[in-house]
Amino acid sequence: MAIRAALPLVAVIAICGCARPTVTANQPVTVPVAVRTEPYATARACSGAFVEHRLPFATGLRVRDISGYLGNGAGVAAGDLDHDGRLDLVFASIDGPAMVLHNNGDLDFTPHELDAQFTRDVKMVDIDGDGWLDVVFTDRPGAVIAYHNHAGTLERMTLPGVDGLAYSTAWGDLNGDGRLDLVTASYDTELRKRGVATDVLAARAGVFLYTNTSAGFVAQRLSDHADGLSIALLDLNNDGATDIWVGNDFLGRDAVWLNSSTGWQPTEPFKRMSESTMSIDWADIDNSGTQALFTTDMNPAKRDPHTLAAWLPMMTKTDQTRAGDPQISANMLQVWSSGAWVDAAPQRGIDATGWSWAGRFADLDRDGFQDLYVVNGMIAKDLFGHLPDSELVEENTVLRNTGHGTFIAAPEWKLGSTLSGRGMLPVDLDNDGDPDLVVNNMRGPATLFENQLCGGAGLTVSLRWRGSANTQAIGARASLRTSVGLLTRDVRASGGYLSGDAPLMLFGMPEKATLQTLTILWPDGAQSVIDAPPANVNLEVTR
Amino acid sequence: MTAIPMPQAMAGRLPVLSLLSPGPHLRATLLNLVAGLVIAGIAVAVTGWPWWVFNAIVLATLLPVGIGKWREEKHRLGVVIMLLSILLTAQGVHSIEHLVQWVQYHIVGLTPRQSNGLVSAANAEWVHFVWNWSVLIMVIVLMRGGMRNPLAWLLLAVAGLHAVEHTYTTIQHVQVLNELRAMGVTDVTAQGLPGIIGRDGWLARSPWTQGTIFCTLPGLTTEVRLDVHFWWNMLETGLLLAAGNVFLAARAPRAPNHGHEPNG
Repeated sequence: MAIRAALPLVAVIAICGCARPTVTANQPVTVPVAVRTEPYATARACSGAFVEHRLPFATGLRVRDISGYLGNGAGVAAGDLDHDGRLDLVFASIDGPAMVLHNNGDLDFTPHELDAQFTRDVKMVDIDGDGWLDVVFTDRPGAVIAYHNHAGTLERMTLPGVDGLAYSTAWGDLNGDGRLDLVTASYDTELRKRGVATDVLAARAGVFLYTNTSAGFVAQRLSDHADGLSIALLDLNNDGATDIWVGNDFLGRDAVWLNSSTGWQPTEPFKRMSESTMSIDWADIDNSGTQALFTTDMNPAKRDPHTLAAWLPMMTKTDQTRAGDPQISANMLQVWSSGAWVDAAPQRGIDATGWSWAGRFADLDRDGFQDLYVVNGMIAKDLFGHLPDSELVEENTVLRNTGHGTFIAAPEWKLGSTLSGRGMLPVDLDNDGDPDLVVNNMRGPATLFENQLCGGAGLTVSLRWRGSANTQAIGARASLRTSVGLLTRDVRASGGYLSGDAPLMLFGMPEKATLQTLTILWPDGAQSVIDAPPANVNLEVTR
Repeated sequence: MTAIPMPQAMAGRLPVLSLLSPGPHLRATLLNLVAGLVIAGIAVAVTGWPWWVFNAIVLATLLPVGIGKWREEKHRLGVVIMLLSILLTAQGVHSIEHLVQWVQYHIVGLTPRQSNGLVSAANAEWVHFVWNWSVLIMVIVLMRGGMRNPLAWLLLAVAGLHAVEHTYTTIQHVQVLNELRAMGVTDVTAQGLPGIIGRDGWLARSPWTQGTIFCTLPGLTTEVRLDVHFWWNMLETGLLLAAGNVFLAARAPRAPNHGHEPNG
């Protein structure tokens, strides 16, 4: 792949936290950082809505009859592969080669096919700590396929020790050694249907944690079975350690392991959970400093006779919920209340968005509150053979966060595409400081929704951690104290359904908000504080 | 309608139980039950009819005994009390149906769709529609016949709402069925869909209630239809028993007073 030199950053603003690291009984170590800023690009237009662009990639077009689990589609990942300051895209494809879309700027992309075929999950992550984002897929047979990024050129690589069957993946530093570890989950139901032998499943299916060491990956099998559509790595019990949450399809409950000093402890933290957890996301939706956890599932968004009739044959075949089962076929919003996670999706108006895949929070209108975008639809001859082209056509759902704890539909943003979305990311592809949306659709072109909403301000924070193999500080968290409240974000390599986030944090806030302090909590527990960061810039923070 | 004095036998704290007792019809009831079980067993074994037909045959064989009892009650106690007796018996059987569904779901571990009770695999939506409007009409007739007490008014409200609920589910049933047929789907029934209340019902999912407390009213908008209607029927049956009991007790002859009349 062509390489471009990194664009020079515009200015070096400050060196912060000049004192040596200090430790007190209750305070984290403070570490100094260098801060560089680059102003945002000028927004291309302000139309008050999103503008749909079709990208030069499509999946699902080569298969005549989509049935079984082909309809589950594939993901998309974002990251700057060539250090040119622009975020590139990589799409997985269930019926052809995966594709890199190199970002030339001005929302122009150059496609480059990869030799990875029939892929599902995709992540961009710096596996070897050389500062370049590598690319990792899973494919339909369940293998993990990796590409090493040699200064912008992708070359096949092996991940020694990684041999479990995988559908979904997530990356994070789970043991605090600075290297990014890998968690994979298999999708046993599909594997069985494909005829994978029982002894192979017995040996290689389930949930694996691969600890990244200098000698390769060391596997630990956390479960011998899974139907893992999504994996989230986050601190569920607020003890500072990253836990593992695997969202399972069908009647298998979601599986959670807490990262404790005595090892990985399985637990069931939720009284209610989605039955078929399609994707997991989390965000501070009310700027309270606490995270709410969102899972998507299948639940008709409308209850009119036509919609119910479209769903009913499938529901009759698949509904196996029994009394006492904590799983419900509905989106869940787990909020921490009175010492427990409680589902607040119904009263927040987000429990039913259709046959939902990726559901992601992002402050789309930059009012300081994170909105919600969910992509929907299903294509499967065995489930929806009674519908034209065997497709359950549903609009994607965008819900504006009112700031009062509820979400309301925002059709004026024109995000109600009826293409059958699967993997999806909020990502700023034109560097103007607002999140655009990229969707990997089934049986249709991938779409980019350019954010042309007007107003608001932004701050994009990317972290560089010199001397650590976790060069992008995956797992770091940041709190931005502003005149309109406390905004929090974290750095992730995984996001939503089968997809990979760009390793940066995008804050949105009202135009008149003043930024007071940006506090970064690094993955090793150290913190850095930046006073009065400027708005409307890309802020590169180097430790 | 003429008010006929209650016989002494029905005096006491729970005259409604005396009314429901088979009394002299016990022997016939048991004989018909045995006959019904045998006939239904043979019929189902020979023809391979489904389980609900078996139960329907048994119920049908009990009907003549009921008719005999109710005719005798009409002659002895009047039309109103006969109607009360019919309603109590029928509502009791209906409650047993819901109880069986509840047991199938909660105890046996079947899915809501599999929890068909004794006869609900037959067209439940139309049966419930007709049944609940019949109950409402019967309650109105009973109230016009004198069963007017606070519990009866409450029963009227609960039965009225129940009839409205089943009107909604029946309309939805017909509309969805028409949509299914238009899609060429003929092997899927549109029964058991949520109504106004219950999880995913109108109240929980209406645009007017989205994001409000109405979406999460414990039980009313959080439980599956099977549970909601089980408790709804239990409430209705309980109110009918209580209202009927108050009605019957008020009409029963007072027990003779063997004490001394107070002076003055």
